[in-house]
Amino acid sequence: MIEVTNLYKEFILSKQQQKELNTTDKKSIAVNNISFKCEPGKIFSLLGPNGAGKTTTLRMLSTIFKPTSGTIKIAGIDAIEYPQEARKKIGFLTGSTGLYARLTPNELVEYFAKLYHVKHSDLNIRKDKLFTLLDMHDFQNKRIGKLSTGMKQKVSICRTMIHDPQVIIFDEPTSGLDVITAENIIKLIKDCKSEGKTVIFSSHIMSEVDLLCDDIAIIHKGKLLYSDTMNEFKNQMITENLTTEFIHIVNSSKNN
Amino acid sequence: MIFTIFKKELKDTLRDRRTFMTMIVIPVLIFPIVLNLFVGVSEGYNKESATKKINIGVVASPENNVIDELKNIPSIIGDKKVIRYKDTLSLINDIRKDSLQVGIFMNENFEMHLTEKTTAPVMVYYNATEMGMKDRAEQYMTIIQENAKRKRCQELHIDEQKLTPIFSSYINVASDKEMIGKLAGGILPYIFIAFGFIGCMYPAIDLFTGEKERGTIETLLTTPVQRWQILFGKMGVVVLSGLLAATCALLGLFLSIEVFKLVEDKELLAIIHSILSPSFIFALFTLLFPLTIFFAGVMIPIAIYAKTFKEAQSIITPLNIVMVLPAMVGFFPGIKLDWITACIPVINVVLSTKELISGTLDIGLLGVSFSVMVLLAITAIFISFKQFDKETNIIQ
Repeated sequence: MIEVTNLYKEFILSKQQQKELNTTDKKSIAVNNISFKCEPGKIFSLLGPNGAGKTTTLRMLSTIFKPTSGTIKIAGIDAIEYPQEARKKIGFLTGSTGLYARLTPNELVEYFAKLYHVKHSDLNIRKDKLFTLLDMHDFQNKRIGKLSTGMKQKVSICRTMIHDPQVIIFDEPTSGLDVITAENIIKLIKDCKSEGKTVIFSSHIMSEVDLLCDDIAIIHKGKLLYSDTMNEFKNQMITENLTTEFIHIVNSSKNN
Repeated sequence: MIFTIFKKELKDTLRDRRTFMTMIVIPVLIFPIVLNLFVGVSEGYNKESATKKINIGVVASPENNVIDELKNIPSIIGDKKVIRYKDTLSLINDIRKDSLQVGIFMNENFEMHLTEKTTAPVMVYYNATEMGMKDRAEQYMTIIQENAKRKRCQELHIDEQKLTPIFSSYINVASDKEMIGKLAGGILPYIFIAFGFIGCMYPAIDLFTGEKERGTIETLLTTPVQRWQILFGKMGVVVLSGLLAATCALLGLFLSIEVFKLVEDKELLAIIHSILSPSFIFALFTLLFPLTIFFAGVMIPIAIYAKTFKEAQSIITPLNIVMVLPAMVGFFPGIKLDWITACIPVINVVLSTKELISGTLDIGLLGVSFSVMVLLAITAIFISFKQFDKETNIIQ
């Protein structure tokens, strides 16, 4: 379970940033008082155009960023007060995630397992299960730098799941991937749902959202414009498809 | 957790060819290559200048006997050919063209001066860019002058000793070890400091900017490891790399002396052996340890701040000059370790090492130098932590 209440994040702008953004404001509000809830066994999708605040929100959920105000609860743990404890429950995967090119998949997975305090006996069982599931045994001892994009994505998945997290955060996980590699991620998200894990993901691809989501939230310029179930979203649609409806909601907010 | 991160980062670093080269290969090879080159060049030069046949041009009147005297000087100080010249203009021209190495001009009154027992002037021409030629000219002229002096004393029936009322002997009371320490002792810490810095440089950039650039830092920050633990694990590898580079330089020096036998002079070898004692090496590393932490602590905040590997490199590389240049102070024999220099970072390490080599180190000053470096190292760690804790710095 993820519970977000009145989440607010602002960044102090340096003089150079003020110049780049063509503003005299000394602060920039990235996330403005948003609240939502993601339940176990459900997939929550966070939608928004570029610069809407999706990544900042997900980075606050994964405790990389500290919110300016508001509360975050991850599997019942206050993530602001006890970030170390909350991180043990989180698996984090982004489309831009890099891997240590000079390590092998085996070494990398073991390294992260140690960082997550996974017991050695559990590590071997989970590693073997994930390697079999993702068909990774053949390249487990090759340097990651020499692997294909698809193989690297499998390693990323394995790294994300090695500590069996209760909450999984996906930040545009399929961006820049070919359809076959993206399919691995789609399957992973579905598997997480069927295992009763809490899943939150952000995406630009409406077909993925339509295929996977149980709940949906739209944010724009840091503000939450919509948050409800996917079924309710579809029922309330006044345009013909998800993409046009999404554009309609974002544009309406600009006019208000 | 710190050790887990340290182990992984060390493995990752050692697998990077560029870091491996600057950390291990180049430091190990530098001493054998430099010493080999130095020994080869100096031996070649000595051999060449000892055996080189030089042409001596003389402008003098036909009755001048000095030409014969010159010809009769034994070739123990090198072969020579004496050529008579008519004027100084062609003599100087030929010296400039290097067809002549030494030119001697004695005017037509030279013999008259000798006969009348007055001082005869002699002009000696040489080209200062040709190494060793002035020394050769001085050797020939000393023989000629001594011969003339002896002859005049005989003619005047004077005992030569009576013209030398005082004879001074200069005795050096400094030990050879002290001499080497004070005059050449600055080179050793300079090399260690330079390699300590270079050794830290690539790992610092790779482990901080590189991780940010490759997008791996984000996943690391989502693990239940505290940021200071990540920083310490990574910093440990940066410091170790610097110390390893300095150690490899020391290993290179050891190999040059003990394996490649590049130092043949037995006396010098004995002095080097007495300098490179285990206690000296221990003291050297005690000084280098906080210095390397200081280097790491200066580089890490820059590496954290920089957005790309190139940006970090372009800031840290010039910093190399600012940090390592003060180490050259050790080359100047006059500058000593005192209460002021002991408080100046880098310089205090160089001067302490110099004193350590000479065996004249004051424990109080060593304590001040060490304390200053430890204080700076702690400050550098604190600044690194502050930078690493800034969320806008660590995420692209």
